[in-house]
Amino acid sequence: MASGDKAARDKKDGIWRYWPRFFLIIPFALVVWPPFYNRIEPTLVGIPFFYWYQLAAILLGAVVVMGVYVLERRQDSGPSDGPEAKGPPPPAGPGASS
Amino acid sequence: MNLNITATIVFVGLFLFVTWVGFVAAHWRKADLNQLHEWGLGGRRFGTVVTWFLLGGDLYTAYTFIAVPALVYGVGAMGFFAVPYTIMIYPILFLVFPRLWAIAKKHGHVTAADYIRTRFNSRLLALAVALTGLLATMPYIALQLVGMEVVIGALGFPTEGFIGHIPLIIAFIVLAAFTYTSGLRAPALIAVVKDMLIFITIFAAIIIIPAKLGGYGAIFDAVPKAKLTLTPPVGQTLGGYSAYITLALGSACALFLYPHSMTGILSASSGRVIRRNAAALSAYSFVLGLIALLGYMAIAAGVDKNPLHAEGFARYGANFAVPALFLDMFPSWFTGVAFAAVAIGALVPAAIMSIACANLFTRNLYKEFWRRNCSDAEEARVAKIVSLVVKVGAVLFILAIPQSYAIQLQLLGGIWIIQLLPPILFGLFTRGFNANALLLGWATGTAVGTYMAATRGFVSSIYPLEFWGITIPGYAALYSVVLNVVVAAVLSPVFDRLWPSAGALDQTSNRR
Repeated sequence: MASGDKAARDKKDGIWRYWPRFFLIIPFALVVWPPFYNRIEPTLVGIPFFYWYQLAAILLGAVVVMGVYVLERRQDSGPSDGPEAKGPPPPAGPGASS
Repeated sequence: MNLNITATIVFVGLFLFVTWVGFVAAHWRKADLNQLHEWGLGGRRFGTVVTWFLLGGDLYTAYTFIAVPALVYGVGAMGFFAVPYTIMIYPILFLVFPRLWAIAKKHGHVTAADYIRTRFNSRLLALAVALTGLLATMPYIALQLVGMEVVIGALGFPTEGFIGHIPLIIAFIVLAAFTYTSGLRAPALIAVVKDMLIFITIFAAIIIIPAKLGGYGAIFDAVPKAKLTLTPPVGQTLGGYSAYITLALGSACALFLYPHSMTGILSASSGRVIRRNAAALSAYSFVLGLIALLGYMAIAAGVDKNPLHAEGFARYGANFAVPALFLDMFPSWFTGVAFAAVAIGALVPAAIMSIACANLFTRNLYKEFWRRNCSDAEEARVAKIVSLVVKVGAVLFILAIPQSYAIQLQLLGGIWIIQLLPPILFGLFTRGFNANALLLGWATGTAVGTYMAATRGFVSSIYPLEFWGITIPGYAALYSVVLNVVVAAVLSPVFDRLWPSAGALDQTSNRR
């Protein structure tokens, strides 16, 4: 995902620049193994586990994606892919996760 | 069925309001609508909130709202695959599509085929991408009509003969007219109304209906035990498990490759808007999960035993479950609101899909192969006309051909569209792939996927793959795209050596 000139500026600036994105595996992990949630007990207000677990996984997945977004925003002004990101280039600070 | 007067008045009133919104949209964020990117992408100026409504209205279609609970009503737990599916789409949206957006913005791309054309410098691969997009989207538009037809029928309109089709034809004339004048601005603005109605309907449904049926416990107790969970593996087959998860994963990979999703994404004003929406759109997934549960509520309410609904079930099958549930549970005026939500929910994606088809046809067939030097105004004019043709085609399709064909074609559409994953994904993130190898991979994947569906008589996309004596039933789209990737990966180095110049890639276009 290292995009050309940016990666060249600093070796460590490569894939680790995007370390928060590894968390995006979590939403997949939550639902990828049906044997884990294919059960009725424990129920929640009468709703079998199979259903309330997956509904809860939607919320967890949203929290993870939002968290990754916020972490990246903190780290620097984000990859320059929008008009508002066209400021001065972000400082090439490896691990500048404030 | 008798015409439900109160519900019909509310329904028609809301429909007229939305029509007015559709025409007013032409003046919203005023710009020159004779430019394709203004008409067909809203000028790429939609911020986080508008994009949220637009993509929400685009991806969670009327057909979804009818078909997902119908599937849960019919087959139980397997129908709930829509939930893991919508969980998995957002990390994909977050990782892949801001990059595509940035490249598209820089080069003025309006479609995925535009991107492929520049990236691989291959007219043939771009043509394959454009044709796949068109073929996969057309039946999808037709299916939106199915969703609309079910609620119009449920209102009690006569459904026999030509008279029965008049409401649908009027709705589509209205849709065609405001899409023509306002472009993508119309569905964007209407989506706001549609989503409000959907949210109101669903929150009313999950409070009122369980209260009437004696709580969620009673609802799930009324459902046969076998339906409540997936069939666990028995003997030499993986049962429902592999089907469930491959359906979810394959559908998630395919979703954003559809031209209408692409149109929604490219109309955002920045990559950041897309990333924010990757989190915020989960609200719709949650609502979809609740909507899926309406299928069980319909079972618990015993809608199929009500003689009033016999005709509806005979005509529309399980798709009638949710409309019947609303008719039984809501007062008439609110049934009108709920049905209007579904019908307007059909207009929004149908508009975006026809715009996406128009963009594809104009950019990647008309301009590429007939009129290389056509002006911007001509380009926009052709796109507007094509958007009309596409809708007329969808209406004729529904009127002339049995509904089951539209459903089968849409099922095939999912298998076809996922074959665009390798060109787009590898185009964005790697350099080693050869355009001709990707083209052969696409051809192989499409052929094998279609064959897999054919072995199931085009009624199911679950293919029982035999692997070392174990049967792994899974989504044909996912199996065939794996083959597609293998072919592309194996042939790329071979082709690069044999014809070093062919399929040379434009190095600039996979950078930001």
